[in-house]
Amino acid sequence: MRLKGVGLRITPMRRPLVLVALWLAATPCLATAETPYIPSRDDIVLQTVPSISDPRVRAMEALRAASSRNPQDMTIAVKLSMSYLDYGRDTGDARYLGRAAAVIAPWLRRSPAPIPVLLVRATILQSKHYFAEARAQLLAILKSDPDNAQAWLTLATTAQVQGDLNSARRACAHLLDSSDPVIPGACLSSLNAVNGHAADAYRVLTLLWPQAKAEPVPVQAWIQGILADTAKYMGNNAAADAHFRAALQLAPGDNFMLADYGDFLLADKRPQAALDLVKDYSQSDTSFLRQVYAETALGLPQARRDAAEMTRRFAALEKRGTRAYRREEAGFVLDIEHDPQRALALAQQNWTVQRAPKDMHVLLSAALAAGKPQAAQPVLDQLAKSHFEYPVVVALADKVRAALAPPPSPQPVRVGASSP
Amino acid sequence: MRVRYWIIVMGLLATALPTQVFAHKESDAYVELRTDPHNSNQLQGQWDIALRDLDFAIGIDSNHDGAITWGEVRAHREAIERYVLPNLTIKGDGLTCNITPTGQMIDTHSDGAYDVILFNALCDKEVPDRLTLVYRLFEDIDPYHRGIITIYAHGQTADAVLGPKNPSTTLNLNKPNRWRQFKSFVIDGIWHIWTGPDHLLFILSLLLPSVLICRRRPRTPFDAGEWQSVDRFWPAALELIKVISGFTVSHSVTLTLSVLGYIDLPSRLVESGIALSVIVAAFNNIYPLFTRRAWLVAFAFGFIHGLGFASALAGLSLPPVAMAVSLGGFNVGVELGQESVVLPLIVMAFLVRDTRFYRVGILRIGSWIIIAIAAAWLYERVFDMLIPGLGFLTPA
Repeated sequence: MRLKGVGLRITPMRRPLVLVALWLAATPCLATAETPYIPSRDDIVLQTVPSISDPRVRAMEALRAASSRNPQDMTIAVKLSMSYLDYGRDTGDARYLGRAAAVIAPWLRRSPAPIPVLLVRATILQSKHYFAEARAQLLAILKSDPDNAQAWLTLATTAQVQGDLNSARRACAHLLDSSDPVIPGACLSSLNAVNGHAADAYRVLTLLWPQAKAEPVPVQAWIQGILADTAKYMGNNAAADAHFRAALQLAPGDNFMLADYGDFLLADKRPQAALDLVKDYSQSDTSFLRQVYAETALGLPQARRDAAEMTRRFAALEKRGTRAYRREEAGFVLDIEHDPQRALALAQQNWTVQRAPKDMHVLLSAALAAGKPQAAQPVLDQLAKSHFEYPVVVALADKVRAALAPPPSPQPVRVGASSP
Repeated sequence: MRVRYWIIVMGLLATALPTQVFAHKESDAYVELRTDPHNSNQLQGQWDIALRDLDFAIGIDSNHDGAITWGEVRAHREAIERYVLPNLTIKGDGLTCNITPTGQMIDTHSDGAYDVILFNALCDKEVPDRLTLVYRLFEDIDPYHRGIITIYAHGQTADAVLGPKNPSTTLNLNKPNRWRQFKSFVIDGIWHIWTGPDHLLFILSLLLPSVLICRRRPRTPFDAGEWQSVDRFWPAALELIKVISGFTVSHSVTLTLSVLGYIDLPSRLVESGIALSVIVAAFNNIYPLFTRRAWLVAFAFGFIHGLGFASALAGLSLPPVAMAVSLGGFNVGVELGQESVVLPLIVMAFLVRDTRFYRVGILRIGSWIIIAIAAAWLYERVFDMLIPGLGFLTPA
């Protein structure tokens, strides 16, 4: 407890500590040390923000101006909120969810609230991973407007994330009434891909592709993304890789696609490719997480420091009560922090919210690592219903079944560092 | 039908992918409040707000080039403060504390650069136990914005997360239990003595001759001089307690002055002085210079030891009452720590005071050993060098 007397005397025991301190001081992680400072020059760029050289930003600004001129115009408000959601999705900036919500807030206070406004609200709820609330909102919309294609499509995707494949299928079927075969086809194929019919889904999507080329670019990127995942579930990694690349060519820098392709590369034991993919996007929490995985797999010296930074980012998310990243955090806690019990708790919390293939994966891995295979029983039940055929998940499920089967081995089955 | 198709395509962009993944968290701002150690009516505040949010709300990027520079942030300082500060209300005992900005800085969080507004919140009375905060920043443009509030008061922290849906909270800053605070510093003081070999050796040097009276000083280095045993235990013990108390009085004075910032001597000088005091005290046992009034020696050297103790409390910054409680507790702890070492030892010394073992082995040779150790410290401290193998005796 006594502080040093004569200057700074470094005893041999303390020397390594001093080296660590110097090393820490010299690393750029000081940038996030959260100590306020005064920049040395006026022309130092502190932050990039949407620039009006981007046509999307110009359109957004025009709508914002129009909306403040005509606060009573619901169509403008809905257009503005949708442009916020759209821009937020493209750039991965979650702040636009709140901005969109603020635009529609006055309309939601009306009774009854207009259907397009409720649709925007359902979309926001879904984006914030409030899936149950989003579905309730969508069902309410469809009660008064049963032919609302947008509501059916959103319901389908939301039900699918929650692992409710039957509801998702019914919702997709309602889209078949429309004249456009591409969107209902993609909707049903994305279900078949996780329902034991991946090969059929892949064939249908391939057949639809020439027609899909006439759709807006984001729809094309979406379909390439489904093709990539479907090929991956079939174990056809070469085809999956090609589709991921095509999707990213259509939607460069797309945050979801970077994370999905990054996970694929890591699972395919190509950490260097994964690092090259995401390393320019380290401000994105999800890209940065893949960077940490890749650095760890490659044994790079900065892996430890970046993992500590990732821990801080998760803590910042936890502070505000965000639930959208629990699956990512469970994987991180399991594979990087090596705390299987906490990882399992997170994976179980996540399972109450969403039940997509990656949610299965992390719950299976965490249950095995924690020596509590029975905790993964809900995944086994889900797999029994869906006949999901992704070899990686099937292999993990087999391990869980072996650990549960009589005669059980007394020790918990250990798995190595599993990929997310 | 045309409107309907448009909505499908527009909506699809936002919803098509089953799980959208956002790159980073939604909008957060961070408010930190600390009680001001120099003004108990005031809280010092720091409010970090993302530049992206401020740009969206009031437009910071003046030239619309998509890059916010420090110059642009500085130019908007007043506009930012005018927009932001009215959205925080701090009420103590029902009375609103007046918020005034005091500075502007930049902070970096995981999702980018933040403008930092430094401010003071001045309350009518001493910052009360119950603070009510009302937070309304961005409530009209982002319902998912959150203000993450941390209050550091009376050595404790309190947290709250506020936003448009729950804009206010009342935080109970339970005043710390003074008795518990006092006790914790008493324990710190005791440990400080028990783990500080230089202070222990100084006290030990004062203790060794207290069961003997010097009748004649030594004439040569090999002469022991003439020593007479004290007859009774209690006068000797009382004399020793007087010595230790003299030490306590003086080190309390310099410890207090030093922690309050009135004295600031280089620690190298202080620590060298402490080593020197140990040498002098031990040498006095071999060639007594001060045979009577040993307490005066202790009192004199106590001043320099007090400056050494102050290093244990360096950086302590508390409101006046808490400061007095802490310093008082630490001094009492130091005294208790000393007595707990001294009293058992003097009993043992009294029992063996007539033996040659005590007079030669302990008093003379022991003092020489103490001189040797303290000389090594003095060398280390004056020249700022380490003597190999002495680490185990180096004050932690």
